[in-house]
Amino acid sequence: MSEKKIENPLQTMRGFYRKHVEPFYEEAHRAKKEGKPVAWVASTTPIEILHAMDIIAVWPENYASVCAALQTSLKLCQAAERKGFSKDLCSYAKCVLGSIYEPVSLPAGGLPEPDFLIAATGACDTHLKWFQVVSRIYRKPLFLLDMPYNVTGVDGDNLEKTWIEHYKKQITEMIEFIEKQTGKEMDKNRLKKVVELSNKCNDLWTEIMNYRKETPCPMGAREAFSAILFMLSFAGTKRAIQFYEELRDEVKGRVKEGKGIIENEKYRLLWDNLPLWYNLGLFSYLRQMGAVVAVEAFSLVWAGKMDPSKPFESLARKHIPNYSNSSIDRKIEWFTWLSKEYKLNGLILAGNWGCRMMSIGEIDVRDAIQERLGIPSLVLDVDAADPRNSDMERVKANLRAFVEMLGKKK
Amino acid sequence: MKIINKFREIISNKHEIARNWKKQGKPVIGWTCTYTPEEIIHAAGALPVRITGDLEGTKYADAYLPTNMCSFAKSCMDVALRKKYDYLDGFIASNTCDNYGKMYDVWRYHVKTRFNHMINTPHKNTGSSREFFYIELKNFKDLLEKRLGKKISGEKLKSSIRVYNENRRLLRKTYELRKKNPPVITGRETLEIVLSSTFTSKEEHNLILKQLLDEIEERSDLPEEKVRLLVSGGEIDIVEPIKIIEECGANVVADDLCTGSRYFWNIVEESNDPLKALTDRYLDQIPCPFTYQYQERFRHVMDMAKTFDVEGVILFPIKFCDTYLFDSPQLTEELKNQGYPVLNLEWEHSMTGVAGLKTRIEAFLEMIRG
Repeated sequence: MSEKKIENPLQTMRGFYRKHVEPFYEEAHRAKKEGKPVAWVASTTPIEILHAMDIIAVWPENYASVCAALQTSLKLCQAAERKGFSKDLCSYAKCVLGSIYEPVSLPAGGLPEPDFLIAATGACDTHLKWFQVVSRIYRKPLFLLDMPYNVTGVDGDNLEKTWIEHYKKQITEMIEFIEKQTGKEMDKNRLKKVVELSNKCNDLWTEIMNYRKETPCPMGAREAFSAILFMLSFAGTKRAIQFYEELRDEVKGRVKEGKGIIENEKYRLLWDNLPLWYNLGLFSYLRQMGAVVAVEAFSLVWAGKMDPSKPFESLARKHIPNYSNSSIDRKIEWFTWLSKEYKLNGLILAGNWGCRMMSIGEIDVRDAIQERLGIPSLVLDVDAADPRNSDMERVKANLRAFVEMLGKKK
Repeated sequence: MKIINKFREIISNKHEIARNWKKQGKPVIGWTCTYTPEEIIHAAGALPVRITGDLEGTKYADAYLPTNMCSFAKSCMDVALRKKYDYLDGFIASNTCDNYGKMYDVWRYHVKTRFNHMINTPHKNTGSSREFFYIELKNFKDLLEKRLGKKISGEKLKSSIRVYNENRRLLRKTYELRKKNPPVITGRETLEIVLSSTFTSKEEHNLILKQLLDEIEERSDLPEEKVRLLVSGGEIDIVEPIKIIEECGANVVADDLCTGSRYFWNIVEESNDPLKALTDRYLDQIPCPFTYQYQERFRHVMDMAKTFDVEGVILFPIKFCDTYLFDSPQLTEELKNQGYPVLNLEWEHSMTGVAGLKTRIEAFLEMIRG
């Protein structure tokens, strides 16, 4: 079957890996050689603090997604399993552990060795466990940012005072830890500047995400899952602003022209959790059926403006309500809001074999959104980085049946 | 041996015991994690009961929960959906694992216990985490007072701590019986003793334990001498996994389970600030692997292996229990360095795949016997 050319790729996203990802790892390796401190950081780590302290922060999660996108994650997962790690564990963790145990022809030359590690409880248990293993392998210290769990699923404006206080103290403990590692005190004025840059970055990303509310949608998931890297890793730096300005201009232009990321957009979807990095072609498969992912659950989770006079409190309000750190109530409210804002026709709730946080509760989210808004969801059993846990034929059949069902609804 | 059967009876009658308690007009509170300070519940005049699963499958829970999660948690939920826990006044969970932490919400949506509460539990025991947990426990106390309409005075709390500490000391003495060869009580009996303490009042359990300690040394049906093993893992809330191991030709003489030694090992300091003493005891207990100080559990395993003179260790976490599974390779290595043979297994609550487990356990025991 010959496929019609219906995708309109964004220029800014061309060669993203070569232009932005690979050079970043090269820089990190170079910095390491020059003796600059390198930290491994986990999801929900407040990156602004690290930038303000001149730490080269690398995200093993990002590295795992890179390995998966370059089709090397399977052998890395197997390498970790050979060391005794259960095959049912997080494939990101297995992938990175495998890259340490069997560092053979690794993408981007592997991760530079850490001088210290920072984990936070905001994403999952796995992050702490995985980093404990790494900390032991390299004999490098690990700091844990102990975050209060958002038990009641409230938003950033309604957090308990005691949660904010605890979080602020944790940030102070984290700064003390880093100062001890580097022997250098944090410069408060520097933090102020980083916060200003972070806000600018946040504004640009929010603007881009707002353009995606338009029909036709000017940017899809395939682009967003890469572009979010700058929010995660570089919020608070000039390079993030440069990149997002370029992307914003292109996306804005698309909206003016009325040109979508695909021709003939029929259905608008949400993608929950992670993509199948080793098969990003799945988004093209959806696009061929006229379906575009207009928003991802994660893309706006990291957004949130900071008050430069209260940086720690702002970080609390930004990170504690992350839905990974919250009651499922929050995810339901969040998806309800996204569904309306992005005028969605359906939601794709992609579980993750090695991730309890992402998998438990999806059925209740599906039912709540159906009941509240009449919008259907498809729950998928897949894995972000271990291709053995996604039956691609079945996934494709499920997606096709789902989109066909949406067609009948219209 | 009659007395030993009492513990098994408590387990079989656990729902009835709770219902009888309710009939006397007293509340019952279910808890899920050993980071729940039961003493506070006890001091409110309520019966704290540990939520556990059963062997009756999970067809109801499967409607709401995914395949790739802890089958122990799922079984608990299924029992609740079969209305076996409808006597609960309150359901208390903790954010101490992703499995139960996220399932808490699913429980809230579908089981609809009168009230639900999650104790916000820190993942480390240093710095501001300790202050935070103290505040959380105070909030928990206030909530129980409000919900149950009972004032929890400092004196009541201190007296509950004494009752619980007595239970812990008696259980420690019971564990001493396993140091002999052959052990005076089997691993299965030990599990029944510890588990049963979470299904009835501690006062009653203390009485039975004292009677057991008086009489047990004279038992005529002593276990046979077999390979001495330590079993390490999380919640083993049903006897089957231990039963299978012992039927393969071993005595489980020591454990590192949160339904075993880790449930009671640490005593609460009997001080003037009971809430502070509880904060310290629960944060500083031999830790679950979800914590920053995870390696202290390894030390507990090493100590036990040594003092209970074991010949081998089975690491037996439940499938999808990430925090334990991440620890397994390191714990295996450290045990092997100390000269202990180690077998890594994963179990499922439904007890499927028992034949495969048996084969591996038998081969392991054969290797130990040489």
